[in-house]
Amino acid sequence: MILIFGGVYQGKLCYAEDRFGDTRTIVNDVDKWLLSLIQDGKDVSEEISRFFDENKDAVVICNDISCGVVPIDPVLRKWREDVGRFMAQAAEKADEVVRLFCGIPTRIK
Amino acid sequence: MRIFISGGCKNGKSTYAQQLAKHQNNPPHPIYYVATMAATDHEDEERIARHQHERDGWGFTTVEQPKNIEGILTTCNHSGSFLLDSLTALLANEMFLATGEVDSSAYEKIATGLSQVLSKVSNIVIVSDYIYSDAFIYDSVTEDYRKSLAYLDRFVAKHCDVVLEAAYTQIVIHKGEGMLNAIY
Repeated sequence: MILIFGGVYQGKLCYAEDRFGDTRTIVNDVDKWLLSLIQDGKDVSEEISRFFDENKDAVVICNDISCGVVPIDPVLRKWREDVGRFMAQAAEKADEVVRLFCGIPTRIK
Repeated sequence: MRIFISGGCKNGKSTYAQQLAKHQNNPPHPIYYVATMAATDHEDEERIARHQHERDGWGFTTVEQPKNIEGILTTCNHSGSFLLDSLTALLANEMFLATGEVDSSAYEKIATGLSQVLSKVSNIVIVSDYIYSDAFIYDSVTEDYRKSLAYLDRFVAKHCDVVLEAAYTQIVIHKGEGMLNAIY
């Protein structure tokens, strides 16, 4: 697995498509998928385990939402933490981790 | 050299950008501070006064250009050293009109202006704000603003020689390390 992350609109998908084209599966917006799981009352940690089993060779893209104020809304609060937990596990499992900043990639693993 | 610097608030972007602009000074040409903030309330006035005070003694010539950024090309000497602080204010001034209307295509006009500036001026430091990593769902106007600013950030980063991120006074070099070292 290759993990690509960064703030919103930093050029993550564009970078992944340029680099991998059709050669690998790209899973985009993992953070939004996690939010929908929480809103639907799903067991997030179970879904995350399944995600890792099913996407061992994928290019996984996630927005970094960890640098703001703690949200008042409990759903957003859980979302922020679940995305953080997902990212930490993903970065550990990934062969390569790339962070995008204003369209510029930095390989941090 | 064309330098772009971004980062979170109070990370030291403006101070470092001022140092860079000073380093790029090319006497007898001026060092221009391109002031982009249009005060809308007392808090803004205080912030502007604080920034002006911080620039005292740096030798900047202040040019007010809150809109139509390409205007600096007619009022300034192109051989000067420029500090443009910030894209964030420039976009807010062009996007949120006094009438209360929102111009959601303002970023295109600004990108055109910036591309003219970047093609004619070779010593410039451009400052922006990194507002892309929080866990909040914004209203569509704010989200449009974030998207527009990110577009301008990527556009400017692409056309600059050096791209920097300020992380609490530490500077991360994303592009152009060799060129940056050359000016020190």
